Amino acid sequence: MPLRETEALVLRTYRLGEADKIASLFTRQLGRLRAVAAGAQRPKSRYGGMLEPLSYIRLWIFERENRDLLRINSAELLESFFDMQKDYRLQVAAQFVAEVADRFLPEREVNDRAFRLVLAVLRTMKQSGETNRPLVYFDYWLLRLGGFLPDFGHCTSCGRGLADAPVYYAAGFEGLLCEDCRPPQAMLFTARERLARVVERCQATLSHWTGEEESAGDLREVRHFFEELIEAHLERKLVTRPLLDEV
Amino acid sequence: MKDYAEPLARLIDELKRLPGIGQKSAQRIAFHLERASPEEAERLARAILDAKEKIKLCSLCNNLTEQDPCEYCTDARRDQEVVCVVETPYNLISVEKTREFHGLYHVLHGALSPLQGIGPEQLKLKNLIERLKGGKIRELIVATNPNVEGEATAIYLSKLIKPLGIKVTRIAMGIPVGSELEFADEVTMLKAIEGRREI
Ligand SMILES: [Zn+2]
Ligand SMILES: [Zn+2]
Repeated sequence: MPLRETEALVLRTYRLGEADKIASLFTRQLGRLRAVAAGAQRPKSRYGGMLEPLSYIRLWIFERENRDLLRINSAELLESFFDMQKDYRLQVAAQFVAEVADRFLPEREVNDRAFRLVLAVLRTMKQSGETNRPLVYFDYWLLRLGGFLPDFGHCTSCGRGLADAPVYYAAGFEGLLCEDCRPPQAMLFTARERLARVVERCQATLSHWTGEEESAGDLREVRHFFEELIEAHLERKLVTRPLLDEV
Repeated sequence: MKDYAEPLARLIDELKRLPGIGQKSAQRIAFHLERASPEEAERLARAILDAKEKIKLCSLCNNLTEQDPCEYCTDARRDQEVVCVVETPYNLISVEKTREFHGLYHVLHGALSPLQGIGPEQLKLKNLIERLKGGKIRELIVATNPNVEGEATAIYLSKLIKPLGIKVTRIAMGIPVGSELEFADEVTMLKAIEGRREI
């Protein structure tokens, strides 16, 4: 049973029996995986606040042959996102990131760029208290790193060039749609210029996306479209998504 | 081919839905019930149904109760000016066991947890606000869990309730009694320092 050291972000935890927890972790060196933290439900557990959602930790885990579930040997906290999540608005945004990462990233596949992305997005939210730009940036890059970013210039269904004609987006479709291809429940997408600007902004690091005011309203439509793309790819609804628009 | 006869398989399936019960425990309980006398099985079934039928939520505090309002809400000896907010009915029991709290309770039936789809709309807040607007209450003690969900809930409540002119306090968090500072992680240590008091 080899002992491996890795950095990780805690995506979420589940209770296991009376005393233990299962942690879904996005590890830097081993990819996304699930591991058992023995005794983590106990009040005097050595894990303390380390396994709270989105904690950035270093951990040592045992790999077990022919088992999906690994076992955490020990851990130390590198950076906490606990206090940030006291603000419900930031809690929802951070946990949206956790849920998407948990569903989107393939198991046991190392993805250092995605790891750095999630960490940068969380740190920006923590430092600025802002959620709009970080969320849009996260959506864009996750789709791009996964290879699911569509060509915004063409209809995803028939491939026709979209030019200046009205465009639509709808649940279950992995890109923009033309007038002819849109299903009845499709929504008109009115933010094409904004989308082009967002794409441009996303080419630099998130910390460079400053200065110009981007209110929630400005970015909402682009964010909704990206969320639709993510759900289309996952083929399921995200639990945290409806809460983003309630706060 | 099924492992068990259909009624037994169904019983095992139902037991497996219970918290903390896996396949093995479910099998053990099911076989135990199979061996038990019909009266014993009947007693258990009746107890489950009775609890379901007779227990309801207190309309004032959302505690589980047979009488509405519940025994805490109707006890005139309790301090009517202080309300302790907890996540679950069994958290209420934990506070009550200290015998140090003599005020009223409010049970939220959860905490803000986006990953579980729980936002403010899913918590039982409406009757709390109504009660607070009644004007009698001067302090709200927030005794939600010392984790991200409990903290977010506490801060959310304080933002909602402080404008009503009511004092909102939070139970102290930090190092568990009987443990050692050496083993406390940074988050826990920080909470303990934040919650310090003069001695
Ligand atoms: Zn088309
Ligand atoms: Zn009551």
